[in-house]
Amino acid sequence: MSTARDEILQALRANRPTPENHPLPPVATLGDLDASRERFITSLKILGGDVLEPVEGETLDQAILRRHPDAKVICSNVPEARGTLPVEKVKTPQDAATIDVTVVRAPFGIAEMGSIFLSEAQLPINSFAHLGQHIVVLLSVDQLTANMHTAYQERPEFKTANYGVLMSGPSATADIQGVLIRGAQGVRSLSVWFT
Amino acid sequence: MSDKPVNHARAAEHFIEDTPHLQFHDERLWDMRQKRDAQMHILPEWQELREEASRIKEHTLSRLPEYLEQFETNARKNGIHVHWARDGAEHNRIVGEILKAHNARNLIKSKSMVTEECDMRPYLAKQGVTVTETDLGERIQQLDDQLPSHIVVPAVHKLTADVAKIFAKDYHTDPEIRDPHLLAEAQRQAARPVILHADAGMTGGNFVVAETGTFVVCTNEGNADLSATVPNLHIATIGIERLVPRMADMGVFIRLLSRSALGSPITQYTTHFRGPQKGGEMHVVLVDNGRSARLGMEDFWTSLKCIRCGACMNTCPVYRRSGGLSYGAVYSGPIGAIIDPTFNERKYSTLPYASTLNGSCTNVCPVKINIHEQLYKWRRVLVQHHEMPFVKREIMHMAGKLMGQPRMYRAAIKATEVSLSTMPRFVLYNWLNPWGKHRENPHPVKQTFNDWYRKNRETAAKPAAAPETKK
Repeated sequence: MSTARDEILQALRANRPTPENHPLPPVATLGDLDASRERFITSLKILGGDVLEPVEGETLDQAILRRHPDAKVICSNVPEARGTLPVEKVKTPQDAATIDVTVVRAPFGIAEMGSIFLSEAQLPINSFAHLGQHIVVLLSVDQLTANMHTAYQERPEFKTANYGVLMSGPSATADIQGVLIRGAQGVRSLSVWFT
Repeated sequence: MSDKPVNHARAAEHFIEDTPHLQFHDERLWDMRQKRDAQMHILPEWQELREEASRIKEHTLSRLPEYLEQFETNARKNGIHVHWARDGAEHNRIVGEILKAHNARNLIKSKSMVTEECDMRPYLAKQGVTVTETDLGERIQQLDDQLPSHIVVPAVHKLTADVAKIFAKDYHTDPEIRDPHLLAEAQRQAARPVILHADAGMTGGNFVVAETGTFVVCTNEGNADLSATVPNLHIATIGIERLVPRMADMGVFIRLLSRSALGSPITQYTTHFRGPQKGGEMHVVLVDNGRSARLGMEDFWTSLKCIRCGACMNTCPVYRRSGGLSYGAVYSGPIGAIIDPTFNERKYSTLPYASTLNGSCTNVCPVKINIHEQLYKWRRVLVQHHEMPFVKREIMHMAGKLMGQPRMYRAAIKATEVSLSTMPRFVLYNWLNPWGKHRENPHPVKQTFNDWYRKNRETAAKPAAAPETKK
């Protein structure tokens, strides 16, 4: 008895257009190749993200409290911020649900879209990036890549991470009468702290 | 499933009667189309991107067996369980078995048109599994027991008051709420406990990368991420046509997808799943459900290039004024009208007629599917297969006879002009004249083109036209 797999593949082989007529085009690198901080910030703001600009003499912990004065539970997975909840306490995916602000470092950002990348390498647990109410993301300016083409070609993470999310601002929806709403299901805000 | 042809025109008539809904629907979708245009104008390389996307897709479809096998090998290497389903029933059975093996009773799921195709929710309900949609629009549709009316914005045909009424019933919120923010917050508050207690999560897949064994999911709410990262069991249902060969190809498609759909540069979340999370289990079900057969249809196989952005719907004057539900199918709009008949030629035989053939759908398609040409080709196929509605067939038959005899045709035109200017309205506007149903008949003219031509040009044109007359 033939399996579903065999039957599907057989049907595809029998029905497909002539492969020789459809060669694979070479990888494209199109568009604007500006990888500047300014371009990244402009794009980030279009998608509802924001920059957490440091004030003279202020620590990251203080800056986070300035941005989120009501935050009780702040959980940091970076040495630059202490937070209020030790990250070791976040063991199961559900543990992240009580956090007001999560703090992580992104290995890179994409200037075209204002996107930051996170994978299991930066997260204590994958749900950490989504179940908290707000997220603060540390990003190094020299880890910006120009656009989606350069990102996919240059960044090894896309081929190595089991879970890799490009976040471009907070969770959003416009599903009720077209009104844009930030903070639909995941984080309500995303702030980038440049280091 | 009933094979009775969908009465798109009657369903659309129903939608048109409600002016506030119709007006909002039309304006909202046109706004999305205009935002798409703005994005297109920002990128000088837009047409190059479309060309690239089209060529990559056509290439992949011509080597689909090889790329599927490559994906399967790589995905297995990464610890993903890969399943194959010939049709919807097989897909549902596989999903049911995975859930049963884990004793999973509560499934949270991200929007996936393939599971709609498979009619999965009622099947799982019978197995005792509670399925909760996490996409806001899809959840609204689930609570209202309707299909999504648009592939990107499933509840686009509803106004705030409609959602307030639905949520009041299920979430016990105030039915008089008119602020979408309060309703979205109600959904967030209602969804969180369900998400935290779910046994399993399900997503679709926008793109599948053969080279790495990855599948990519694009959402704005991040609901796919919640569905996939909170429960330890993740099942992804994916159509077999969703492949691209290389990770580097993703740049082309991500740059086109959300810009074409909503006019935003990218979806808020673009997530790459290459293997299960720590302590978790991941399954991919590759679904055929008619796709391999469609690949063999010479005129229609390129419809498999579709990346489900919905741009063709947003621009379509018929879709905007008839609403997605009037198509009576999982896929509505222009793309639906060319792929639905491949699922059921008789049931969806009316859909290729739900078009003005203006070509706007083709112009906005990011992967360059010749949608309006396929609509026209479907009409030919359906006529050959006798799927044409009786009245239309008879009218075409008479029109053919009439046009074959110039003298009779000209006499008929004259008679029509006379009747348009002299007959009372009740004679002209009745059920025998579908043209006059929702619009005015054309204004009668004093002189036909033929009369004018005879008077002014015929003698002058004759000598010059003589050598051209041979066919």
